[in-house]
Amino acid sequence: MQQNKKLKRSDEPIWWGLFSGGGVCFAVFLPSVIFFYGLLLPLELVTLDYQQASQWFFSFWGLVFVGAVIILPAFHSLHRIRHALYDVKFQQKTLIKWLTMGFAALLSLASLLIWVLGL
Amino acid sequence: MSYRPTLTPTWWLKNSAFKIYMVRELTALPLLFFLLCLVMGLYSLSQGAEQWLAWLAVMQNPLVLLINALAFVSSLFHAWTFFQLFPRVMPIRLGGTTLPAAVLIAGQWVGVFVVFALVAWLFWG
Repeated sequence: MQQNKKLKRSDEPIWWGLFSGGGVCFAVFLPSVIFFYGLLLPLELVTLDYQQASQWFFSFWGLVFVGAVIILPAFHSLHRIRHALYDVKFQQKTLIKWLTMGFAALLSLASLLIWVLGL
Repeated sequence: MSYRPTLTPTWWLKNSAFKIYMVRELTALPLLFFLLCLVMGLYSLSQGAEQWLAWLAVMQNPLVLLINALAFVSSLFHAWTFFQLFPRVMPIRLGGTTLPAAVLIAGQWVGVFVVFALVAWLFWG
């Protein structure tokens, strides 16, 4: 019976690649991004007016920002959540995979759409 | 009868190395929260100046600030663990000698500070 079973090409390299790329971005870009946009800006220690922010974001640099600061870290984060759920012995592995990777894909699409529509 | 060992959901509580592993896995949660904040911010940016100010007000909520502070610490903890992996996964050889791990780790921290300087320059330059 074993011969009849077709070997299916694994899709794991894709998730692993996105996870590693996201890991680099999380380590190199996110500390500064969180510090400035998540802490200093709300605390009013730095200023960024609407005009400046939208001009900067709805340009080529916005696409770089979406890729390096949102899409890759999102896949990194949800890959970790996926495997942490496996680690605490959740049994529905396929469902968890679809939910976590689907959520990352949704966040990616949403941010790309915001960028494209705002151009 | 199976001889395959089975793990309980709390296996990682039995050893401090496993606990640190789980803490590192959990750095993903505050990161995800910050990413959601950021996507919301980009959406409000696309909706106009009033929405942008409303988003800033949400970011000023003490609970949001607290979770984002946690995300900041998480990103540094993640960086610290991630940078140690690189020399093991991809040792770099130059002229027949392997570069010491400490050099590669320091190089990556330099990268973090360069990005920091770049973002600081965007705000203050």
